[in-house]
Amino acid sequence: MSTRPIEAAPPRTVQTVTFDATMDARIAELRQRYPTSRAALLPVLWLCQERYGWISPGVIRAVAERLGESPAFVEGVVTFYTMYQTAPPARYVLQVCTTLSCAWTGARELVAHLKERLGIGFGETTPDGTFQLVGVQCLGACGRAPVIQINDDYYEDLDVARLDAILDELSGRR
Amino acid sequence: MPKLTIDGHEVEVAAGTNLIEAARAAGVAIPYFCYHPYLAVVGQCRICMVEVAGQPRLALGCATPAADGMVVKVEDSERAREAREAVMEFLLANHPLDCPVCDQAGECLLQDHSMSEQGSKFTTHMAETRRTFPGYERRLIGPHVVQNQNRCIHCSRCIRFTREISETAALTYKSRGNSTFIDTFDGSSFDDPMSGCATDVCPVGALTLRETRFRKRAWKLRSTPSVCPGCSIGCNIFIDHHERVVYRFTPRENPAINATWLCDHGRFLAESLNEQAYLTPQHQGPGHPVPAAWGEALAAVGALLRGAASLRVVASANMSNEELFLARELFGRQLKGEIAVPVAAGEPRRMKNGRGEWLLAKDAHPNAAGARRLGLDTVDGEGLSRFLYGGAGLTLILDPEAHPFLASPEALRLLRVGTTVVWARRSHPVADGATWLLPTPSIASNEGTFTSSTGAVQRFAEAFAAPGTVHRTATGGMSPDCPTIASPWGAPGEARPLWLVLSALARELGTKTLDLASPAEVFTLMARSEKGFAGLVWEALGGLAPQQSFRERQHVG
Amino acid sequence: MEPVLLRARGAADSRAITTYLKAGGYEGWKKALAMGPDAVTKEVSDSELRGRGGAGFPTGRKWSFVPKDHPGPRYLVCNADESEPGTFKDREIIEYDPHQVIEGIAIASFAIKANTAYIYIRGEFVRWARILEETITEARQHGFLGKNVLGSGFDLDVWVHRGAGAYICGEETALLESIEGKRGFPRLKPPFPAVVGLFGKPTVINNVETLACVPHIITRGAAWFAGIGRAKNTGPKLFGVSGHVNRPGVYELPLGVTFREIIEEHAGGVRGGRKLKAFFPGGSSAPVLTAAEVDVKADFDACAEAKTMLGSGGIIVFDDSVDMVEVADNVAHFYAHESCGQCTPCREGSDWCMDILDRLMAGHGLPADPDTLLRICRFASGGMTICPLGDAFALPITSLVTKFRDEFERHIAAATPLPPRKLPVLPWAGPKAGFGI
Repeated sequence: MSTRPIEAAPPRTVQTVTFDATMDARIAELRQRYPTSRAALLPVLWLCQERYGWISPGVIRAVAERLGESPAFVEGVVTFYTMYQTAPPARYVLQVCTTLSCAWTGARELVAHLKERLGIGFGETTPDGTFQLVGVQCLGACGRAPVIQINDDYYEDLDVARLDAILDELSGRR
Repeated sequence: MPKLTIDGHEVEVAAGTNLIEAARAAGVAIPYFCYHPYLAVVGQCRICMVEVAGQPRLALGCATPAADGMVVKVEDSERAREAREAVMEFLLANHPLDCPVCDQAGECLLQDHSMSEQGSKFTTHMAETRRTFPGYERRLIGPHVVQNQNRCIHCSRCIRFTREISETAALTYKSRGNSTFIDTFDGSSFDDPMSGCATDVCPVGALTLRETRFRKRAWKLRSTPSVCPGCSIGCNIFIDHHERVVYRFTPRENPAINATWLCDHGRFLAESLNEQAYLTPQHQGPGHPVPAAWGEALAAVGALLRGAASLRVVASANMSNEELFLARELFGRQLKGEIAVPVAAGEPRRMKNGRGEWLLAKDAHPNAAGARRLGLDTVDGEGLSRFLYGGAGLTLILDPEAHPFLASPEALRLLRVGTTVVWARRSHPVADGATWLLPTPSIASNEGTFTSSTGAVQRFAEAFAAPGTVHRTATGGMSPDCPTIASPWGAPGEARPLWLVLSALARELGTKTLDLASPAEVFTLMARSEKGFAGLVWEALGGLAPQQSFRERQHVG
Repeated sequence: MEPVLLRARGAADSRAITTYLKAGGYEGWKKALAMGPDAVTKEVSDSELRGRGGAGFPTGRKWSFVPKDHPGPRYLVCNADESEPGTFKDREIIEYDPHQVIEGIAIASFAIKANTAYIYIRGEFVRWARILEETITEARQHGFLGKNVLGSGFDLDVWVHRGAGAYICGEETALLESIEGKRGFPRLKPPFPAVVGLFGKPTVINNVETLACVPHIITRGAAWFAGIGRAKNTGPKLFGVSGHVNRPGVYELPLGVTFREIIEEHAGGVRGGRKLKAFFPGGSSAPVLTAAEVDVKADFDACAEAKTMLGSGGIIVFDDSVDMVEVADNVAHFYAHESCGQCTPCREGSDWCMDILDRLMAGHGLPADPDTLLRICRFASGGMTICPLGDAFALPITSLVTKFRDEFERHIAAATPLPPRKLPVLPWAGPKAGFGI
């Protein structure tokens, strides 16, 4: 498995956003799946996050205008859900599950190891912008605990040695 | 029409009425924070829990429609009381309890309910540090609204207001759970033509008005029913005042016109009511104005009127129906003068009524419809300039703010010819150059009726007597509204409402039929003689009589 | 029992439609089209299938609540938001045999006369959302979805709608709000979704596992399904076992086996030779059961009798080394993080519980804490909140405090007083200069 790194658009490039023809077409396709344009909001935000790496205020304004909503409404939705990034993320976001089954089968050790190896705490990013450490709630992989989601991919049945190998691979490929 | 019993009181209500309103009709108060009669029901605060016989779980007063034969217990239910107490404990767990320094104190639903149901018995099991929102504790979020997120009880009334009523959707919840807070998009300005209503609907001190906060404690304020003078829609308001100072306008419920809303333009006219540039009658002496007594002024103006070769009168759509009627009868019919009522279109304004329909303002004045109904000639700026063109013997300007044209150099040039008598309150070039100037007070010291653009004739009451007048109650004592003849806080001087001066001039000119003692008498005469006012009764207009049921502001805001 | 829902697990190309068709796939769909909507609903009612998402509501009855005379449109929603801690069964179905779900969606949509169905899948499940998209494409290419399905005149579109990280969207009305593009705030009920649901139209929301059962009921008959388990608790069920066991994973077993059998036989017993201390029988929202209660039968009614619930069938096992106060703290963290924040008791209560438990774990417990926790939980559950998230944190924490009170007392006895609170010196965090307030 090779996890694709996130290429976050620098903030100045997404201060104001104009959708290109590809985006236009994809938004139009998403739009026709639903009877209201508001319903396309979550998928359109996903689309934008794939494209720009994160949801900047400029993206919110563009999405709001496209779907006929107020920017405040869209921002309210963006901040409700934990997976929409409101700041440029690192290339690899390490989302460590800290809930019950993971917590008691090794997640604590993984977290301690990550904090030590990367020198960062929860919510922080390594100085080179490669790794970001996030504590998350149950990822729905309790049978293969402990689990870390890196960007879109699940890494399951982890121990410190396997985690080290994964981090080596991801950071070596820069 | 379902009939139900609430705490032993039987009551019959319209189908679809919820338990909160049914209980209100039965004289039982169900507490609420998030419910608002003109906003969507969301059932978020959970304080309106009541017991309904036969239902295993407690019911929400806001979301449960009254049904025939229902037996509801509010105060009589131990279970419901316990639940409400728990909800209060939850709400107060993170509330700062800073009532002594909170400007909402005295009109805060949370404080009122805490005091009425719990009194001094309130205890909490909370031993943790309170949640705070650093940086959101005293923050101007728009031109008028100050936010203190620590006090917010997450009722979402302000958000629903911007989504359902003003339709800007400018406010939103951000984040979630116990970190949820209210904000605008990306810290932008809370730009909403009705932003003040967000502070009205806020049940606590989380949103307050920059213009009025900390100027007067809520319990000091007296509320006089009135009508907004800001445009022709005629929104119903309270003038909130204390010791002859107007502090604010707050919306007064009227489902047909403004529900419980008021636009920022109208709301912030309140402060301007305190302006009084002209204090006594005055006439133009050699190079400077000379003050005069009312007796002298009335005699002089009477003499001018009797001796005028020709007479033209600029009335105003800011005048009450009674004043317009007196002016028409006295100057038009009696003295055969020409009368014009200038009407400016002004900025486009709108208001949403209780049925969710937008009402559009046709004119920038509160009583243009009344002027038309009385058959007076309404003119625009160009018409006014034609009306003033070519001198006349005597020109009366009943209100220099009748039209912006009157402040133009052209108007001043036209008025330089001949004699002018001007009634004015605020500084105006036309008034400064008048032969005679007669001071008038603001709407707060006047009473009468306006006709809204929807056709409703609505009364506004006198908040406090005009400066310099004795105000006595029926029993002969001083009115508490007006403690002294010369209140140290009120404006000095002797401004008199226009209707009073017009009836005094009628007396001066010997026109007995128009020598009337009150706007009510003028109205009665008008209702007898004018088709447009036939059948209307002063006492029944706008529900100003105390026996008429008025919801207190607290209940809807 | 021969596996039903997981029969393809481990086979080569198990996801492919060719594999599914070889195993008799989409025969149920063809049969359903011939039977007509009412007969399909009756068959499902007769099977006594109960919702596998957590509430255990009879599926056939749920379908029958959709008003017959409604002009439409109506919607079917497949709930794949699987977020309850301890639950990881739906992704097993999607991973190995997703066409079952699509066939179930088709049959259910036909039964309630819905022409559009949405699958709401949690945002983290990127891989499984992709699998579902591919599966839908395959099914459409084979004529099982789309316009005029198999010449029947029935149209059906199925769309995958991804969540974006919110446990509450597993609650059916919050899920509907989320599809409608809003914050996931549960709605007040009534009206129920069967009458006023997605976009204000009649809507049925069923769990992935529930829908996966439907094709089998149609092809093999209600009597076959009802023959598994016992009355009112019929059919095969996926149990996800996690925590301190030797073989964690998903096991397909008939409803009504004992938790002892699941934990000791199938999951290989408590790992490391330790003893069982306690377990959540159906996700972390279900009141905890102790080792002494391990012989409770794993079905809806038996769990209710034991004052807990089968929930989603996610069993989380704790060995005797576990501090149950810490479990309560972990549970409280989860729910405080996932409370949507709209109604008072849940918003304030979940956070308050978390603060108390954090303080207890930090060694500063107070004698009143257990009773305060019980009081908070009492008034955050039992209809005090808009949706069941209040109960979801209140019931397990209540059960932990009552069943393991001695552990709480031990923490409190060893507690040190809170260090005196220093008043924080705050930097001026007010508005920018010039605002004049």
